[in-house]
Amino acid sequence: MKLDFAFIWTAFLQLLTAVPTALAITVVSVSCGLLIGTTVAIIRLYKIPVLHPIAASYVTFIRGTPMLTHLLLIYFGLPIIVDGISEALGLSFRSVSIPMIGFAYISFSITAGAYMSEVVRSGLLAVNRGQIEAAYSIGMTTSQAMRRIILPQAFSASLPNLSNSVIGMLHGSTLAFTVSVVDINAKAQIVASTNWKFFEAYLAAALIFWGLTFIIERLTALAEKRFNLYNRGGVS
Amino acid sequence: MIKLTQIKKSFGRNEVLKGIDLTVKKGEVVAILGPSGSGKTTLLRCINYLEKPSDGQITIDEFTVNYKRPDKKDIHTLRQKSAMVFQQYNLFKHKTALENVMEGLLIVKKLPKEKARQISVELLDKVGLGNKLDAYPSELSGGQQQRVGIARALALNPEVILFDEPTSALDPELVGEVLGVIRKIAKEGITMIIVTHEMSFAQDVANHVVFMDGGVIVEEGNPSQIFNNPKEERTKQFFKRITPDGVYSI
Repeated sequence: MKLDFAFIWTAFLQLLTAVPTALAITVVSVSCGLLIGTTVAIIRLYKIPVLHPIAASYVTFIRGTPMLTHLLLIYFGLPIIVDGISEALGLSFRSVSIPMIGFAYISFSITAGAYMSEVVRSGLLAVNRGQIEAAYSIGMTTSQAMRRIILPQAFSASLPNLSNSVIGMLHGSTLAFTVSVVDINAKAQIVASTNWKFFEAYLAAALIFWGLTFIIERLTALAEKRFNLYNRGGVS
Repeated sequence: MIKLTQIKKSFGRNEVLKGIDLTVKKGEVVAILGPSGSGKTTLLRCINYLEKPSDGQITIDEFTVNYKRPDKKDIHTLRQKSAMVFQQYNLFKHKTALENVMEGLLIVKKLPKEKARQISVELLDKVGLGNKLDAYPSELSGGQQQRVGIARALALNPEVILFDEPTSALDPELVGEVLGVIRKIAKEGITMIIVTHEMSFAQDVANHVVFMDGGVIVEEGNPSQIFNNPKEERTKQFFKRITPDGVYSI
């Protein structure tokens, strides 16, 4: 078998059109996941009554089931719920008008939330207890201390793990193909279907994923440098 | 004025404070002495509710909180009336010296930024760190960090500053600079409660000395009385073992 380098390049260029979709899924799921994850981490760490067991079950169920299963459950389950509610309230909205990528956004955000709650929790645990005591001692409320003192430090402590999650979600975006969203892998399959050069097309896809991941790694390194500026003295 | 009434605290079945009564007059410098495990630090931490007392009552500046059923707002008000200097400094690691001092002024006192900055610069000058405004805690020595901690406490202009063994974590060489700063602010008439093992410092800076052991106040009085003429057997025993300046006789 001979490798068709020219076709790798052609495929590469065509696959670039699917990059925005992959990035959109990654950005949305990571941002929503970070929001959900932070909330869940705080609920679990402070053992907030009622919410605490719910949060714990959420994390164990989501981490205990594959990301593809979440997507399928949302894809087949959500329309039943949405249509049911919509009908009961007499609204004209129907689940058919939800774009396919919407299902990917929702289900991947739920997935990312569970994994990121553990990332944020480890960050929160890394912040010394003395920090919140000092915040209390100058008269801050718990939410002020959280926002101003604890979360910023927890965030910089979580950065390396956070970049892992971002990369994981980027690669996970390929699953969106199951619900007919054309991501990078799906596009490769489409491009290759004209001449059956699947290997070349997937090789191009691999190069694109590697490139995007490399950019994420560089960005994390920059962010780490920026946010950990305060550790530059060495001892703390 | 600060008035503590029957403060009690237990960790599990271990009763650490067995009903402490203490009155501190305005402008007074109180030193709390005693062996390890006597409850000194716990008492101090109970005053601003970093430790949750099981029972008792506190009055600071005519504001009373009953520890049996405190509500969240009371605790918040109580904390705003006091400030604490910690053994491990506990500076906000991600903020510069200047930002550490400004934080309370901006967020708690809601001062405009310019005003907060001006006050903070003045205070850092006062503790001898006018040239370290933009340094992060990790770039400062222990003594310098503790002086920032003192400036941070002073900034809030509290009714009382609580010092929790402020020099115990320091190199012997750096103890002097911190004690110097505390001495300086003591002269300004700020009410202070200091838990310390620096006997000669306590003797020289305090107007009132409290000796604690086993969760109770064994004896209190003015420094010369406690150091030179203790009445209680336990106090005599304690001072006999520790000669001035922490030199232990064998």
